[in-house]
Amino acid sequence: MAVRERGFRLHFRLVTKTMSSQPRILVVDDEPQLTRVLRTGLKSHGYDVRVAADGLAGFEAFNDWHPDLVITDLAMPNVDGLELCKRLRAISQVPIIVLSAKGEEKTKVEALDLGADDFITKPFGIDELLARVRASLRRAKVPPMNEATQTTLDSGDFHVDLESREITVRGKAIHLTPKEFDLLVYFIKHSGKVLTHRTLLAALWGGNYVEQNEYLRVFVGNLRKKIEPDVTPRYILTEPWIGYRFDPDPVT
Amino acid sequence: MRRSVLDQRWAGYAVAALSVSALTLLLKIFGTHFNAATVSLALLLNVLFIATRWGSLPALFTSILAMLCFNFFFLPPFGTFTIAATDNWVALLAFLITAVTAGQLSASAKRRAEEAETGRHEIERLYAELRDAFERASHAEALRQSEKLKSALLDAVTHDLRTPLTSIKASITTLLDEARGEPSFPLDRDSRVEMMEVIDEESDRLNRFINGLIELARIEAGELQLRRRWGAVDEILSTALTRAEPITRNHHVELNVEKELPGVRVDERAVSEVVYTLVDNAAKYSAKGSTIRIMARRSGEELIEMGVEDQGPGIPKDLREQVFDKFFRATRDGDITTHNPSGTGMGLAIAKGIVEAHEGRIWIDSGNGGKGTRVSFTLPIGDEDDE
Repeated sequence: MAVRERGFRLHFRLVTKTMSSQPRILVVDDEPQLTRVLRTGLKSHGYDVRVAADGLAGFEAFNDWHPDLVITDLAMPNVDGLELCKRLRAISQVPIIVLSAKGEEKTKVEALDLGADDFITKPFGIDELLARVRASLRRAKVPPMNEATQTTLDSGDFHVDLESREITVRGKAIHLTPKEFDLLVYFIKHSGKVLTHRTLLAALWGGNYVEQNEYLRVFVGNLRKKIEPDVTPRYILTEPWIGYRFDPDPVT
Repeated sequence: MRRSVLDQRWAGYAVAALSVSALTLLLKIFGTHFNAATVSLALLLNVLFIATRWGSLPALFTSILAMLCFNFFFLPPFGTFTIAATDNWVALLAFLITAVTAGQLSASAKRRAEEAETGRHEIERLYAELRDAFERASHAEALRQSEKLKSALLDAVTHDLRTPLTSIKASITTLLDEARGEPSFPLDRDSRVEMMEVIDEESDRLNRFINGLIELARIEAGELQLRRRWGAVDEILSTALTRAEPITRNHHVELNVEKELPGVRVDERAVSEVVYTLVDNAAKYSAKGSTIRIMARRSGEELIEMGVEDQGPGIPKDLREQVFDKFFRATRDGDITTHNPSGTGMGLAIAKGIVEAHEGRIWIDSGNGGKGTRVSFTLPIGDEDDE
């Protein structure tokens, strides 16, 4: 799961120059020792950090402070991580990273379905968390696409003409079926985000197909054959038991 | 199966023919002075024997054969099938009817007995099958329950192991980053110390958790070795309170010990551990500046009662039993204080184990005025003769 940092370096230099615009991160966890560590660890990497001990306090802090990113635990008293994701998504597109433990797969998938962007499994090193934070912030920085007027998509190795429905990968034109085209465009539009099987099925096939994982497997398999240069996928990465993550610009 | 029934039937006919012949021969040789009635009774017995052993058809065959022999050898004129006297006709007819009826009746009785026997076997077989199935099902259910419990316990244990580990890993990687010169804003001295404090405290927490597991396993296996000696209640309390001083620094501690309490014959170290656990919980789950009351008094002739009371949020009535289950927490960690390393979820389970090993009882009710939590336990004072 290599999350790259290229884009962020530039953004980061900008940030260090103007201290007032340090990205703000809200950490929500009921474990005081962990929030202590994350506060210090994230601060030392140039972020402005606030912590909250449960979902309710987290939601209040969000409304009060408008952070650029939220890191939240799942199991918490009062309002838990799932509920927090739901409430945040109702009012904001802020990137959300979920802290989960092995054995919480079901809850993790639920959180992603509810709108969380990424997850990290406990215990984790600070570097892994920082990489996820950078990736999520970078993604959030990409200006929102104007669906109505936009006719082309450019992302990493991919160029898409939405009108003529033509796609080139690494400068080479490829031929896709309509469904494969839609799937790839969806992946490109949500680059870097963990997309659950359910989310993809609902977006591409509609709500009645959310349990039909085999549809997805077949189409992802076909798409990989057409766009991946190698047997080992570089662009469409599998998140075991959860879904896929699309990386348009993998480090070679 | 069918073959053997047929064989049996043929055997029945053969035995019938042989037995009637033999009987006739015997009666002819030895029974010159036997009258017709005796002969007919002897032949009837033969019919009954065949009927009970081989069933209705061989019995019918026996009846007719016996009737013919009776007529030929024993009804005058002898040696012919003709019958002279009218009353002998009656005798012959009576013999035939009796033989056939008796034969058929006993054959059908035999069949019914056999059917009943088969039915009984079938019921027994079904019963055994049902019982086996039931046993298998309840065994599977018990296994499933125990697996469920095991996995719930495993979840709790892994959560309690992983939580401190997560803080340790995050701290140490932050420090490593710094050592490698990676962070954009080097940690100041306080932050470095804080990271190391977290590592230190969380390692202790892991160790406490593991010690708790060992203690609990010992209690559950019934291997808790109590070293009972006569001791004073106030000494036990003061040992626990001295140890608890660092955690009660921000609370008012009130000690209320009844005067002239008798000595108790207990394992002082273990009981002091119980008191410490209760004080630790009280401090953890009540606000700074609030009061923790510790009391000890005599309860009846044979018991000492001790209790620890806090002014925290209290424990709902329906959870007051459950909090003694291992890994169960009524209030999740971190709700009240933000800097105390949180509990192991085993303290009360261990306390209960220790109290019960002393044949005492431990329970929870509300504190003074229905607020807060009071955990009380009793200990038998012990007999003088127990020394």
